[in-house]
Amino acid sequence: MSDRLQRAILTLNRLEQPGGGTDGTDIIAAPDSRCLLVLTLIYLVLMLSVPLADIERVLLFSVYPIVESALVGIKYTRLLKRSLWVLPLVALVGVFNPILDTRTVFTVYGFTVTAGWVSLISLIVRGLLAMQAVLILIYVIGFYEVAVAIRRLGCPAVMSTQILLVYRYLSVLLQQVLTMRRAVDARGYGRRHMSLKLWGIFIGQLLIRSLERAENVSRAMHARGFTDRLPLSRYRCWTTTDSVLLGSWTVVFIVIYLVPLGTYLSKVL
Amino acid sequence: MSHHFIRFRDVHYTYPGGYEALRGVSFLITHGEKVALLGLNGAGKSTLLLHTDGILMATSGEVNIGDVPVTRKTLPVVRSHVGLLFQNPDDQLFMPTVEDDVAFGPRNMNLPEEEVERRVSTALEAVGATALRRRRPFNLSGGQKRMVAIAGVLAMEPMILVMDEPTSNLDPGARRRVIELVRGFDHTCLIATHDLDMAAELCPRSMVMAEGRIIADGPTDEILSDIETLTAAGLWPR
Ligand SMILES: Nc1ncnc2c1ncn2[C@@H]1O[C@H](COP(=O)(O)OP(=O)(O)OP(=O)(O)O)[C@@H](O)[C@H]1O
Ligand SMILES: [Mg+2]
Repeated sequence: MSDRLQRAILTLNRLEQPGGGTDGTDIIAAPDSRCLLVLTLIYLVLMLSVPLADIERVLLFSVYPIVESALVGIKYTRLLKRSLWVLPLVALVGVFNPILDTRTVFTVYGFTVTAGWVSLISLIVRGLLAMQAVLILIYVIGFYEVAVAIRRLGCPAVMSTQILLVYRYLSVLLQQVLTMRRAVDARGYGRRHMSLKLWGIFIGQLLIRSLERAENVSRAMHARGFTDRLPLSRYRCWTTTDSVLLGSWTVVFIVIYLVPLGTYLSKVL
Repeated sequence: MSHHFIRFRDVHYTYPGGYEALRGVSFLITHGEKVALLGLNGAGKSTLLLHTDGILMATSGEVNIGDVPVTRKTLPVVRSHVGLLFQNPDDQLFMPTVEDDVAFGPRNMNLPEEEVERRVSTALEAVGATALRRRRPFNLSGGQKRMVAIAGVLAMEPMILVMDEPTSNLDPGARRRVIELVRGFDHTCLIATHDLDMAAELCPRSMVMAEGRIIADGPTDEILSDIETLTAAGLWPR
């Protein structure tokens, strides 16, 4: 338990830094944080607005995570593995589709494939792709810079600060769980499970304490001149490479979105 | 603001829960003075220090930093002059890397990036933590965290240094370094501590707190020898 917690904290803290999600391998050619943020947003909007039944088109959108991960130097298998985390969530949303929607779409070797199955699979693929795109974003520029990028794009300071604080709060919460868990274990005489009553106390304490810690952290920030705005002085400028990257991917996305490549392909094959 | 004095006038503070942690605190620390704040656990030392930076606002009474009264409006001025070291470094360190954390204050002051860099290097060197520069603060040791937190305060180049137990958790070498740092700091200094040897060595003057009040204020050697009396009064352990 406490090992897993420590690893969770470590991952969380890693993700905060540029290149942090890649376990040591350096990010090659990291784009400007704004560029990647906008790119990710365009991708998500277009990919998620493809109709559910249009499964080939959704599959074509997988070109982005595969190619972009190679461009920045993240192994796609790693990305894929991490993105599996969304499966339970997506499954929860789509699990009844096969039961509810039994219209036949096509038959393969005597198996009827119903619209419900198609939409479930389409949901799963979308979920994975969306997660992969977001992971690329966070792996490459780090969570902190996502917040900074939001601010640099002209959104109100409150918004980016909120995002950063939610993230900060999350790691405070996890650390608090860890310390408290250790405290319980230290005097738990090897008992593996906490009683229901102890759980109640634990959760209650956890909330109070992490609120208190969050309060202290914000005090410390203000004591060092923080005024609810992230300082922006040190970030790199937008380059031509960024424009090219953003431009070419956007064209690719729009082509996939508008041109029925899938039907062409099936005609050719 | 040419005179960096700290003045409390009959300051009371009641925590939201209803506990009255400061019960009429008054004192004046003049420019360049180094003062130790002593007292048992729960006496109200940390609460008092949080008032010097406007983190907590007096329920009644008045706090002045130089000519500036601490109010919501004056917070930016006050905070650019007062460097506050928190009792728990975990509360203070929150940026992804040590260098980002030390740079946090200077960047908030909107200094040019070369100046930020200079301050970060100087501060880390001063506390002997240059090697930790790219580490993540959350998995440093307790003492290392403390040193980095001190660097974060030094990087702001404050006119008034307020420290809450700066030497707790430090090994003898690191403790010595902190003492020398404070000795070399020629502005006003207020230090809450249980480290009586450090108080005797660094601070010509001491104040003793008990139950939210200042019960003794004077030359440190006199105060320390007077602890016999305090013990007799049940305010100090044997
Ligand atoms: N957030 C809070 N809410 C309510 N009461 C508090 C809070 N923080 C501190 N107190 C109370 O205020 C009193 C003074 O606390 P403070 O932290 O100032 O003590 P201290 O002198 O710094 O002690 P120590 O030497 O242990 O650091 C204590 O009795 C404490 O219980
Ligand atoms: Mg204290």
